[in-house]
Amino acid sequence: MKKECVAMLLAGGQGSRLKALTRHVAKPAVPFGGKYRIIDFPLSNCVNSGIDTVGVLTQYRPLELNSYIGNGQPWDLDRSDGGVHILPPYLGENEEGSWYKGTANAICQNINFIDQYDPEYVLILSGDHIYKMDYAKMLEHHKAAKAACTISVLEVTMEEASRFGIMNVNENDQIYEFEEKPKKPKSNLASMGIYIFTWSKLRKYLLEDDADPNSSNDFGKNIIPAMLAKGEVLTAYRFKGYWRDVGTIDSLWDANMDMLSQDAGISLTDEDDWTIYARTPTKPPHFVGESAKVTHSLLTGGCQVEGEVEHSVLFHSVTVEPGATVRYSILMPGAVVKAGSHVDYAIVAEDAVIESGATVGAAPAEKKEEGWDIAVVAQGVKVGKNATVSPAAMVTKNVKEGAKV
Amino acid sequence: MNNLHGLIFAYRSNKDLRELTQHRNTCSIPFGGRYRLVDFTLSSMVNAGVTDVGMIVHSSYQSLLDHVGSGKDWDLSRKHGGLRILPPFGYADAPTGDYYGRMDSLAGVRSYLEDIKQDYVILSGGDVAANLPVQDIYNQHLATKADITAVVTCQSIGEPRSCTYMSTNPDGRVTDVFVHPKSPMGCEAVEVYILSKPLLLSLVDHCAAHNIHSFSNGVILAMKDRLHIHTYQFDGYVGRFHTLGAYFEHSMDLLDPAVRASLFDPRFPIKTKDQSNPSTYYGPEAHASNSLIADGCRVEGEVDHCILFRGVHVEKGARLSHCILMQGTTVGAGATLQYAITDKNVLINPGRMLMGHESYPIAIAKYSKV
Repeated sequence: MKKECVAMLLAGGQGSRLKALTRHVAKPAVPFGGKYRIIDFPLSNCVNSGIDTVGVLTQYRPLELNSYIGNGQPWDLDRSDGGVHILPPYLGENEEGSWYKGTANAICQNINFIDQYDPEYVLILSGDHIYKMDYAKMLEHHKAAKAACTISVLEVTMEEASRFGIMNVNENDQIYEFEEKPKKPKSNLASMGIYIFTWSKLRKYLLEDDADPNSSNDFGKNIIPAMLAKGEVLTAYRFKGYWRDVGTIDSLWDANMDMLSQDAGISLTDEDDWTIYARTPTKPPHFVGESAKVTHSLLTGGCQVEGEVEHSVLFHSVTVEPGATVRYSILMPGAVVKAGSHVDYAIVAEDAVIESGATVGAAPAEKKEEGWDIAVVAQGVKVGKNATVSPAAMVTKNVKEGAKV
Repeated sequence: MNNLHGLIFAYRSNKDLRELTQHRNTCSIPFGGRYRLVDFTLSSMVNAGVTDVGMIVHSSYQSLLDHVGSGKDWDLSRKHGGLRILPPFGYADAPTGDYYGRMDSLAGVRSYLEDIKQDYVILSGGDVAANLPVQDIYNQHLATKADITAVVTCQSIGEPRSCTYMSTNPDGRVTDVFVHPKSPMGCEAVEVYILSKPLLLSLVDHCAAHNIHSFSNGVILAMKDRLHIHTYQFDGYVGRFHTLGAYFEHSMDLLDPAVRASLFDPRFPIKTKDQSNPSTYYGPEAHASNSLIADGCRVEGEVDHCILFRGVHVEKGARLSHCILMQGTTVGAGATLQYAITDKNVLINPGRMLMGHESYPIAIAKYSKV
């Protein structure tokens, strides 16, 4: 059946800058904010914006992401018409086939999927940002501007601007130039990686781009410049609100800590009628024991806390034993912090075990020293008794008793 | 396992539960921070591979219907079978008026019983908190070749005046039955039974013809010598809810790790209606100990020996001990509560003080403002 707008979510990236956290899962499947995974944000935004047809393009380590999305029921995307579809790269008859070469190529390989719904517009999203956004408003803007493409932008400081893709616009917010990480930025409008295209236009540019063997098949590098060159109307949609790229360990840690704050600009409670949905296992309520001390933290179902937890985000089924302390840290589902161990400024991934007396990470000194950073313990890793994991360490193998890494 | 059909008697509203059953029947009483009582029975059945469950309802069942919906959260929303709600007046000539007992209610849904595809049926009240090993009970039923298997617990849990007790020979065969005695005698029936479909149908017809309403009196007691009734002794935790005091006591049982280990065995998870709540936030001045706290709460005050359901707010300076706060309760700054049960969406204004006692917890009805 015809749909006005179909969303395509690029979820194939490895997220290599998240290092130890994406060894087993693709970046969009990385846990976030106590209850969620990163991909819950764009998926929930779609549903809350009235978009009921979403293609999720997967490639790197898709197993966990595929089973997480399943039939889309937690997001109300189990529809008989539309709904959520996982779109892996594929091989056609007499074709060599390939992985998705670039963001534009991923969409190009799925033209048939989009054509099924004969949409007027296509919304392109990525799976590595934390934000709440009404795409319907952006679509209104796109229609009003009679644009071929609308790019959502965020006003950043001029200093930050050289880290982003920057849109240079005229007085009507019409884009005349796109610069990737400019040394001397002319504007402070950073691309958020969210595009709305008029499908008939995009379809044409995708096919032309695909025919060019020298293209890297990327939206930012190829499609947008090609559209600008041909004089298409490209417009910037100014988004105001909380938006974070969580592509690095630091930014992931920061954004998690934002969830503890009252005035970070985003709230996960549904007071704003913009619920972020997630697939979560049914766990009993969490239990705080006799000796527990929990302050300024998030706790989730199935947790057992007997120790001290401060300024931290605990996902479901985390155990913190008596005498253990957890500060400024993120403990992902099933992590265990045994008696008398200390976790400071660290990310402990799923099912990792910190044995008793071990120390993971440390608080930064007054002035952050060279080499100080968040410590990361990867999924399933065991940190032995009385072992030490230094700040900035990235532990992907078991740490022996008493050892220091 | 597909040869067992579940039947849940969800028509009772126990008046001794006071405020808790004003708006709902006993099966849909909130329990354990995020569950309804019926979740335990439904999950026990589903975890044993039961795919078809009929739920007999009569009155005040709107809250129960809201909760179970299509049965999707228990994987019971199926093309064939799955969860079926059986309201009264299923056919034109159905008897009108209340159900006086289980046999009455079964007679009311007789046509449904005839269509059951499985050879065996498990009957349950749907109002006990227990993670029952249904597969094991069924296996024992087949092994003993009993006519009826009755699940019993040898810890005395319920109100004797509302319970059935059984004594057995050394093999476990029932030799005597005591219905609603003054004090406990033998092991207490959990009121979960397995029997074959043909036997069930013949019992329904027999009881209808003899104006017998009650399963305990009319079948278990009256036919204990004629039928082979065998007990299955369940040693895990069982909570029963005949009075508000019992509700309070069994809720507080959950603060014991051994009880939680029995009820919330991760191999046999208790499933419930999925709701999207974020994690619970603890404020900088929060102090919580010995408490079971569901997702979506904000804890900024002091909480000790409490059970908090989803979306409860405890503001700064509020002090709670031995309380059960149901979904959406807000306790204002500086309020003090002891031995209190607040039903859904209760508002306790700042500075209020409410004290019940272990022997008589106070209960505050749904949507009240204090």
